Amino acid sequence: MKLDIVKNKFWFLLLSVLLLLPGIAAMIYSSVTYPTHTPLKVGIDYTGGTTLQYGINSTSPNDKLGDLRVKLQASGIDNPYLQVINVSDDNQKDGLKSIISIRTKFIEEGSKVTDEITSIMTSEYGGAELLQVSSVGATLGSELFKNSLIALSLAILGIIFYLTVRFQFDYALAAILGLVHDVLFILGVFSILGLFWDVQIDGLFITALLTVIGFSVHDTIVVFDRVRENLKYYSKKMSFGEIVNFSIHQTLARSINTSLTTVLTLLALYLFGGVTTRDFVLAMMLGIIIGTYSSIFFCASLVDLWREGAKKKQAA
Amino acid sequence: MKNKVKLFWFIVLVVITAVYFIITKPTKLGLDLVGGSRLVLEAQTTQTMPVITQDMMNSLQFAIENRVNKLGVAETVVQRQGDKRLVVEIPDVTDLDKAKQFIGETAELEFKKLAMVNGQMDWVSTGLTGKDLNKAMVSSNPNNGEWVVSLDFNNEGAKKFADLTRELVGKQMAIFFNGELQSAPNVNEPITGGHAQITGGGNAGFAYEEAKQMVDLLNAGALPVPAKIIEENTVGPTLGADSIARSKFAGIIGIGLVMLFMVAYYRFPGLIANVALCIYGVILFALFKIIPVTLTLAGIAGFILSIGMAVDANILIFERTKEELKAGRTLFTAINSGFDRAFTSIFDSNVTTIISCIILYMLGTSIVKGFALTLALGVAVSMFTAITVTRNFMHLIFDTGDLKHPEWFGLKKSDIGDAYKAVETKREKAKFGILD
Repeated sequence: MKLDIVKNKFWFLLLSVLLLLPGIAAMIYSSVTYPTHTPLKVGIDYTGGTTLQYGINSTSPNDKLGDLRVKLQASGIDNPYLQVINVSDDNQKDGLKSIISIRTKFIEEGSKVTDEITSIMTSEYGGAELLQVSSVGATLGSELFKNSLIALSLAILGIIFYLTVRFQFDYALAAILGLVHDVLFILGVFSILGLFWDVQIDGLFITALLTVIGFSVHDTIVVFDRVRENLKYYSKKMSFGEIVNFSIHQTLARSINTSLTTVLTLLALYLFGGVTTRDFVLAMMLGIIIGTYSSIFFCASLVDLWREGAKKKQAA
Repeated sequence: MKNKVKLFWFIVLVVITAVYFIITKPTKLGLDLVGGSRLVLEAQTTQTMPVITQDMMNSLQFAIENRVNKLGVAETVVQRQGDKRLVVEIPDVTDLDKAKQFIGETAELEFKKLAMVNGQMDWVSTGLTGKDLNKAMVSSNPNNGEWVVSLDFNNEGAKKFADLTRELVGKQMAIFFNGELQSAPNVNEPITGGHAQITGGGNAGFAYEEAKQMVDLLNAGALPVPAKIIEENTVGPTLGADSIARSKFAGIIGIGLVMLFMVAYYRFPGLIANVALCIYGVILFALFKIIPVTLTLAGIAGFILSIGMAVDANILIFERTKEELKAGRTLFTAINSGFDRAFTSIFDSNVTTIISCIILYMLGTSIVKGFALTLALGVAVSMFTAITVTRNFMHLIFDTGDLKHPEWFGLKKSDIGDAYKAVETKREKAKFGILD
């Protein structure tokens, strides 16, 4: 199979636009309609919520935590945070051995949800007793976002500087646009997932995005490196577009194998791993796939487009 | 020839050292993975502040977060609970007593002067407080070597301090910390530079730890209201013990699949890459313990990405070696040029990653920091294992011999040499612009 990426670059750029548009639309729609005015549905890490604490007399409550999580989710409690609090010896009274803390979105006072959770708790742990219901604040503030964004912007400047020295400025710019492409795609997908399947983003989502960014740049550089090398040998014989095509074909097996191995690990984590990290793994997995796509079809097309434009300008 | 063998023994030595550290040093895991201590703080009303407002709680939370971060612990949780409580969760690795002391202190610094109050001389506030500080540092007094706390005022603080010292020339000025008199020096002349020093109250001056704690507290900011620890428990992992057990199992399956793929696709070199990957894991894990790095899920994400990059380095090299073999080169040259030609791309992509990690680590907070640290370490170690170790093993095993078994490299006999022509003709074709 021989794919002529350069010849079809407009189609690939159009495909990228089509891939990103639904997500961007979902983000705009979400920003307007959500009460939080965020482009994605944010979880209780950002909004705060309600914590219910149940006292139980079992000393090894971890065994049933998985069951409890499944039951809670089945009755409509989304993404509950379950944590065991061990009661220190001096505070143990009335056979109270440990506390299970259930953290979820805001529950209004006197609503039926509390009773529902209590009945699930008592069926799972006989004699569970509701000790405390309290509202809890966010663990991730806007401060963290602001700070991370500043750090990230400076990191991007660092990447642009290094790639400009080692390659050319337009390569650096294409690599960064590829990064933006990938991040936008993931944000878009999760915005859509939030709209239709109530998927919420948590602190781990930021980590997943960082991973996607890291991979995106890494993958693009490998393709560009081949272009740089081939330019050295064949720049007299071939046009820039041909060299880009040729280089992509040479690195194709590697590109596919690398993302395949990483996706394999993540797929195992997605299918067999814990529920609490499932969305996190999904974000990384999609990021690796789109990152591979963008470095082959998006970034390379961009550089070729710019070079072609520059040549035409020169000729004119 | 000899260098090869020397390098091999060096690798063995590194692995043994790494294993030694893995066995002897404890693993530090974060709050999300193993849990830790949970402190509940309650804001206390005082005579001057009879009501706790939400604004006060906001600044209390901010100040506590600042302090917990100063403990140098990875990813802590500070969370509002109800109207006047804060829940602080810190990983097991922290010294709980120290943390408690640190969190509970009000850290109020005040400059006072003597004035007549109700017919009695007493210290009264001057309006200059810890809020006017830019930074505090531990330093030593050059005259007697005692530890002192150096204060660096911000612009407004410097002006206030200059005015105050001008007013008090020839008189005493006192420095109070948490309501305790630290020192009451005589002011000889106005101080306009915006710097001041606190010497210890006693004859022996500060102990270093004392000065250090005061500095940390001053830099983290005073608590707007006093807070008391009202509850103290240990907690399980925030991600849920059930989830973590499953993810461990899944991670092992995932890595197993990758190793299987490497052998199935790249055959013998794939096997060597797998050995290198194991060495990589051992060295990195040892580093995590030596430094020590408190591992959280964010850190593990960085670790996973670095594994991907380490595997990628080997894939790049082997694809290149295969190309060179197909082009009819001898085994020795093919291996060498496989490494050499893949090196620039591995180097550039890794340096880019490390640059961004350094920036993220210096400027980022909690999650971002943990991620950047493990990724940077992972990438640095992978430069050694995926390149040096793999190359050494390949040379030791194949030496300068001929390619007797092309199937070891996942190639057929008929592939070799033929492809060379194919590539050449393609280049020729390309010259005339008929690239398919």
